[in-house]
Amino acid sequence: MIRFAFAAILAALAVPALAQGAFPDRPIAMIVPFPPGGVADQTARPVAAAMEKALKQPVVLANRQGAGGAVGMAATAAARPDGYTIMTALSSISVIPEADKLFERKPAYTMDQFAPLALISSDPTVLVVNAERPWKSVAELVADAKARPGQISFSSSGVYGTLHMATEMFAHAAQVKFKHVPFNGAGPAMTALLGGHVDILASGPGVVLPQIKAGKVRALAGWGAKRLDVMPELPTFKELGFDIEFYIWAGVFAPAATPAPILETLRRAIAQGVKDPDFVAAMEKAGTPVAYLDAPEFKKFWDTDAARLAKALRAIGKVEGG
Amino acid sequence: MTETLANLALGFSVALSPQVLIYCVIGCFIGTLVGMLPGLGPLAGISLLLPVSFGLSPTVALVMLAGIYYGAMYGGSTTSILMRLPGEAASVMTCIDGHAMARQGRAGAALAIAAIGSFVAGTLSLVGLMLLAPPLASLALKFGPPEQCALLVLGLVVLAAMGGGSVLKSLAMTVLGLWLGTIGIDQMSGFFRFQFGLVELGDGIGLVPVAVGLFGIAEILASAGKPQLERPRTPAFRELWPSRREFADSAGAIGRGTVLGFLIGIIPGSAHIVASFASYGIEKRVSKTPERFGQGAIAGVAGPESANNAAACGALVPMLALGVPSGAIPAVMIAALVVHGVAPGPTLIQDQPALFWGFVAAMYVGNLVLLAMNLPLVGVFVQLLRIPYAYLYPAILAFCVLGVYAASQSAVDLWIMAGAGAVGYGLRKAGFETAPVVLGLVLSPMLENAWRQSLAMSDGSYAVFVQRPIAAGFMLAAAVMLAWGMRRR
Repeated sequence: MIRFAFAAILAALAVPALAQGAFPDRPIAMIVPFPPGGVADQTARPVAAAMEKALKQPVVLANRQGAGGAVGMAATAAARPDGYTIMTALSSISVIPEADKLFERKPAYTMDQFAPLALISSDPTVLVVNAERPWKSVAELVADAKARPGQISFSSSGVYGTLHMATEMFAHAAQVKFKHVPFNGAGPAMTALLGGHVDILASGPGVVLPQIKAGKVRALAGWGAKRLDVMPELPTFKELGFDIEFYIWAGVFAPAATPAPILETLRRAIAQGVKDPDFVAAMEKAGTPVAYLDAPEFKKFWDTDAARLAKALRAIGKVEGG
Repeated sequence: MTETLANLALGFSVALSPQVLIYCVIGCFIGTLVGMLPGLGPLAGISLLLPVSFGLSPTVALVMLAGIYYGAMYGGSTTSILMRLPGEAASVMTCIDGHAMARQGRAGAALAIAAIGSFVAGTLSLVGLMLLAPPLASLALKFGPPEQCALLVLGLVVLAAMGGGSVLKSLAMTVLGLWLGTIGIDQMSGFFRFQFGLVELGDGIGLVPVAVGLFGIAEILASAGKPQLERPRTPAFRELWPSRREFADSAGAIGRGTVLGFLIGIIPGSAHIVASFASYGIEKRVSKTPERFGQGAIAGVAGPESANNAAACGALVPMLALGVPSGAIPAVMIAALVVHGVAPGPTLIQDQPALFWGFVAAMYVGNLVLLAMNLPLVGVFVQLLRIPYAYLYPAILAFCVLGVYAASQSAVDLWIMAGAGAVGYGLRKAGFETAPVVLGLVLSPMLENAWRQSLAMSDGSYAVFVQRPIAAGFMLAAAVMLAWGMRRR
């Protein structure tokens, strides 16, 4: 917040200089619609640092959290489209408008209010079970779930959150029903699995890997189109005959009405930034390998992903009272 | 044991290196400043400085962030005692007797006991962290939603039943707080509740504006309403130090607060705030002079302050031993570790002995640094009370407005603060205690989530709260406490 205010003050001071000189001639604010420390924040910081080098202007992070990200996303959608406000957001950007439709609410924003700039990372979720549970394979889990519908439980980061959507996608494909116990965030969801309060969990590789190594949880399958580099022995759902894919991804967006030349400059800055060795190293340390896509490819990826998520959301339907 | 000592020696060799020591001092100093500002709590402080830590080595970064965390806990007590301004929720109980002591010219003693209690609690909890982290952490995992829910109920009942006046009045205030906490987006289903078309209420009623309004603003209103403004007696320099009697009254409170705080801190689910409130209730119960509570009982400062710091330390147990956060602050610290390429997980202590033991040793050093930094400052802070109210109060008001606005940048929060101030003044006049409102507000979302998660786990059967032994024990204790509180009237 303070940094956001700082950026705003810097921006205000620079207003007289507006309209002269090439973009950018003052600091750029990058909105992160989640609190510091989460996946979005961890991705945005190295991206901002790498863009700074390319643009020769500070790129200042502003965490505008609230309402599952809707507050910051709506703020970006409504920002002046001059290239001085951009955003790093996660796949949930496609879920919130669909959920608004489902509940017949006035939407906080629509997806066509954003111009996609670049995809930075995309990690398939991994299905893990508490190591003390009997299932050794997806087939065993599905057989047991069919025998006792609604008895096997899973935790999630929240209703309609990524972890919830991924598990329901699997349940829908396998035609089984799991019991949903939602938590606030991926961390508490993992704690509940470790404590044996729930049976299964879908989460990102960065979260599950240390627990797999320690033998506390067992991985059964991954949601990617191909196997994960860090877990080469883990089968994908596609190999197992379930036609599902799910990714937790992070991308950079600008307000849709931003002029094309400015979007071009920002895109080039990101393209240059993702090659920066410091950036690659920072992302690898954080356990999220770079999966860069430039705007046109990212747009295609986003459209496909949004369609997948919309379908899963409609399959889940309204969740009344958890 | 010898192994532990050898490890600790390794830790101190890390912690006493000049670079680590410097960042430890910087962290403690920034933390103290952050804790004093009413709007900024430890979470905001750590979050703001997280990027600064990216350029440091993992050990140094963790030490600095831990220093901020601890420092903010210390700093919060200063404004609470001097101005009745809780910097964060955990300081609310300190406001009551701490500020009453300040009015009687014992601000120095209250500040000193707060610092000493925090130091003792922090140091003893570290011994607990060091020796018991792995076994305690697996025990902590047994606390699922039903146990958390039962613990929260117990926490709320302890404060209401032990509070000063009528139990019914206290319960009414608790319920008011719980209701205020349900305003905003329903975390489970995404529905808006009680927001009356105001978008700004979507994220709920913030704790900071309510706490600052109910305590700081209401206090100013109450003082201004008195025909003759009484001035707190400013103490002579030699009166700054607690008397022998005050030390004796505090010793037991510090011990009990430490154990209670540490145990509550370990439990995942951010219920740490219960520690300082429950400690106050217990001290009042065991005190030979319960009528002095609210009028400046030193045990009412010593207990909650110790419990608060012990809980902060206990909260690090699940993080270090299991790699899972037990609250928002450890979650940010885990994020910091991840950025540095250290994967926090169940094997952290084996994989990174220098990091873990260096961290433990640095916390010992940090506690010492904080004590050394805070005790000399007591004399400086007490001088603030020499400022005439005509100047001090407008300054405090400006301070409140600035702090609350800086924390959220929302004008609605300022209105909430003003409203809470007016309501708090009215409630004081009518003989209601307002601390339960704050506790209810903080715990409301956690209680609701734990409640709904429990019922989701049990397919809607309420038996889940009595079938699980730990949950049943807490529920029984809550019932006994409530019955005792009602009968006492």
